[in-house]
Amino acid sequence: MSTVNQTPATQSPALKDQIREFIMENLAHAKGITSFTDDENLMESGVVDSLGIFRIVSFLEEELHVRISDEEINAETLQSVNSIEKLVLSKKK
Amino acid sequence: MAYILQQLLTKSAERFPEKTAVWARGRSVTYRELNERSNQLAHLLHERGIRKGDRIGIYFPKCVESVIAMLGIVKAGAVYVPLDPQAPAERIGYIIGNCGCRALITREEKRRGLDEATRESLEFCVLIDETPKSSNGSEVLPWTILSEFPASDAPKVVLTETDLAYILYTSGSTGRPKGVMLTHQNALTFIEWCAETFKISSEDRLSNHAPLHFDLSVFDVYNTLEAGATVYLITEDLALFPAKLASFIEAQGITVWYSVPSALTLLLLHANLNAEKLAKLRLILFAGEVFPMKYLRQLANLLPHIELQNLYGPTETNVCTYYRVERDRLPSMDKLPIGIACENTEVFAVNDQDEIVTEPSGIGELYVRGPSVTFGYWADPEKTAKMVVPNRFQRNFEEKMYRTGDLVQLAEDGNYYFLGRRDSMIKSRGYRIELGEIESALLSYESVKEAVAIAIPDDIVSNRIIAVIAPHDGMDIKPADLQQHCGTRIPKYMIPEMIEFRTTLPKTSTGKVDRVQLTQESVRAAQQAAAEPVSQ
Repeated sequence: MSTVNQTPATQSPALKDQIREFIMENLAHAKGITSFTDDENLMESGVVDSLGIFRIVSFLEEELHVRISDEEINAETLQSVNSIEKLVLSKKK
Repeated sequence: MAYILQQLLTKSAERFPEKTAVWARGRSVTYRELNERSNQLAHLLHERGIRKGDRIGIYFPKCVESVIAMLGIVKAGAVYVPLDPQAPAERIGYIIGNCGCRALITREEKRRGLDEATRESLEFCVLIDETPKSSNGSEVLPWTILSEFPASDAPKVVLTETDLAYILYTSGSTGRPKGVMLTHQNALTFIEWCAETFKISSEDRLSNHAPLHFDLSVFDVYNTLEAGATVYLITEDLALFPAKLASFIEAQGITVWYSVPSALTLLLLHANLNAEKLAKLRLILFAGEVFPMKYLRQLANLLPHIELQNLYGPTETNVCTYYRVERDRLPSMDKLPIGIACENTEVFAVNDQDEIVTEPSGIGELYVRGPSVTFGYWADPEKTAKMVVPNRFQRNFEEKMYRTGDLVQLAEDGNYYFLGRRDSMIKSRGYRIELGEIESALLSYESVKEAVAIAIPDDIVSNRIIAVIAPHDGMDIKPADLQQHCGTRIPKYMIPEMIEFRTTLPKTSTGKVDRVQLTQESVRAAQQAAAEPVSQ
């Protein structure tokens, strides 16, 4: 396990909880999935599909008030709860 | 002339041996390699006792080996069954059992995910990735074993165009998927029509967006082989991100695109498309669901150089009608026609008086006849007899025609317009979904007494699915638990995204659940929800 490059800014339980809860209730349940980890690749496990991605983007823009460009919508940024959190934090700096 | 699918490959392999035939996930195979590898696979299958008409499943996320497997199986005279790698193992197990697959081409991870009974029912599996130490269940063979078999030609098998080539499973109204049997002739009728109509050449680069268990992929793969072109298989991870996908189309110089409209809508809305970036793209085909006019107009304006074609047809007929989008008519059109019959295919609408509709504005159910029509459903003579019926409009000789269940209207200009379904089949993202299959999954949950699945019209995906449930007395059901249960029986795209609970469901005078009332209520509620301003 590597902790290199992990800044304190990536640890914000409230934000992470919000993201996790949104994905669980709005996307995972509708796919018959009831658990996933913060590191899990949500696209590989089928939690997030092509429309799910844009529901996450709307959630980030409308509820968390960050602006996401089309180019930022990619497999790296939206892969997991952790990567989404990282994206939001980078926007809020 | 080709009368069996593999001839498309062998001919192109002679003409363009060193040209790339298939590209996927950064890997590619030339026509020579594709031909040799599929010959070797056919020999392996033959040596293992696979004979004409035997079913072999293809079960892994798409990659170049998918096309090798398809061709290797038909070269052995067998019938391939593409299995959705994302579907629940239970459903895959049902399909393997239903059509009696003797073997699978798969990956170890997928094989391990199947239940024990299914694994044991298979005589062997060819793994495209690795060989496990213990095979528990069927015998497993590594992909590397192919090199031990002759590459120069395929085993000798007598085949005619009326032999089966593949079986595609679609949603079934009685709760189980049904296997549409397609012959070489069914497929080639469509492929040859496409080749001529769309002038596919060896210079073309086709994309393959649809999954391989979806009939749109038949065009992508076989029209590529027919023309000696190159097909780029678009994997799930790439399909998810419109901006990345648009860059991919540009970078690979894709010239022909075929997908469901919702994939095009997402590209349109989120990929900053422009004509300059997609200069090489010359043809966009779409099928599988109705393209909302507002997005089609935007697409047509944004990409003025690209020919747009609306193809229509259930899996049972592949494609049977088409409409070439006329840009100058688009502004005044409120609905896109499904068009006129493809060549070598006849379509007509039959009205409630059981007469063929000949007058403009006449409405009826669309029937299809000709060599593209399926023989029917695998091991289901009852359903086959209901859908593939004797042609009662001519009695000179015995002939079958397919009733689509789609209501259409004939227009003045000879085009047909799609109006709706006669039954409870719906489309979502181009997938055919029988609401009955969802209901049967819901009802298999112990605490559910009554269940109705409802389609809510949606701009982008055609329909979203919700369910209304009445639990058994005193039972408390958590929506997430019920959705999870559905996930073990039906594919993710069929699981209701929202579940509403009532103590009892409204009934019609005959005592049946009143679907119409429930649907109206749900659609109204959804419209109201959509109209409400977003909460701050």
